[in-house]
Amino acid sequence: MSGNEYEFTIKRKDDHGKVSYSDYSVPKDRISTVFEGLLYIKENLDQTLSMRYSCTMEICGSCAVEVNGKPKMACSTIASSLKTDKIRVEPIRHFDVIKDLVVDLDSFFDKYRKGLPYIIREDYGDYSSELLQTPEQFQKYEQYSMCIKCGLCMAACPIVGTDEDYLGPASLTAVLRYNLDSRDEGGKYRLEAIGTEEGTSRCHYAGECSEVCPKGVDPSSAIQKLRWQVFKHEISGLIRGRRK
Amino acid sequence: MTEHKASIISWFRFDRKGLGFFAYSMHRFSGVVIVFYLYLHYAVLSNLLRGQATFDAVVRAAAYGPYGIFIVMDVLLTVVIFYHGANGVRLMLNEMGLGLAHHKALFFVLEAGAMALMLLFLYYAWQAVLSGSGL
Repeated sequence: MSGNEYEFTIKRKDDHGKVSYSDYSVPKDRISTVFEGLLYIKENLDQTLSMRYSCTMEICGSCAVEVNGKPKMACSTIASSLKTDKIRVEPIRHFDVIKDLVVDLDSFFDKYRKGLPYIIREDYGDYSSELLQTPEQFQKYEQYSMCIKCGLCMAACPIVGTDEDYLGPASLTAVLRYNLDSRDEGGKYRLEAIGTEEGTSRCHYAGECSEVCPKGVDPSSAIQKLRWQVFKHEISGLIRGRRK
Repeated sequence: MTEHKASIISWFRFDRKGLGFFAYSMHRFSGVVIVFYLYLHYAVLSNLLRGQATFDAVVRAAAYGPYGIFIVMDVLLTVVIFYHGANGVRLMLNEMGLGLAHHKALFFVLEAGAMALMLLFLYYAWQAVLSGSGL
């Protein structure tokens, strides 16, 4: 390797489950991001490399990988910002690896769905006029609606790593996002759905989800706010005599 | 997610992690130490069942044991308890939605306050040990 090249080390997993590391030298003047480095390798050095990507501009959330030990979006990680010529790329943690850098996100979306991440209306959508929303009402949940479902927060969360039933930061943030939406009337259903020991109470506020979130969603703060909502919901349930 | 399930060792890998992770890891570690001490405390107290003399002998051995090791452990236990308490207060405030935007600053402020209180406590505790009234 010369000073004009990045040395990529990529964790591989073949169809038989065998894990290995492959090294590639990538010219610095041909790439700017880690994603471009991976694409350069796939197009010029090793076509067997498997990775997931789509938009290449941090919108689709597909190219989440671990770069030098930290969960990042490959497309928005500038190679020169890593301050080293050695770039180690691995699949994100806490997910089963299908092949090379491609992980199985089924468990992520299964958990995501448990939080009922959609507008719920008591009128079942049978309303006569448009549901208007002021800018102030929108701003209440705007930050949490920026989630691109990349799974980096789940990969960084130490609780997700040791308790596979924990719903995780992405799912819980989505719950808060919809609970704060002025058009929504289904907060109580969501709080019931997540008011279990695998919901907000499992979060121990390590804050790594917020550290790695590429969109500044701040899931750890969202979970603390949601925790307060769950607490109030549980107390009101006790007062009303409804006990699970 | 079973294939990549992490061990609890992962709770203590601080490399490339933020302050929140450090606080979380130390909170877990200090919690385990406190629980361990609680049972150790019960074990020591259980010597009362064998009589006052036995209990006094055990406590004296603990206080003036080989190389003062128990005094050192008591000091370390104090550090752990004060750390755990201060971080616990931060977590309670944050969980109520207070200070979320400044949780790292809150960590430093509460821990600094706790360590100052701990030094004060250790000073008076040491005075008591020297005078012999602490036994």
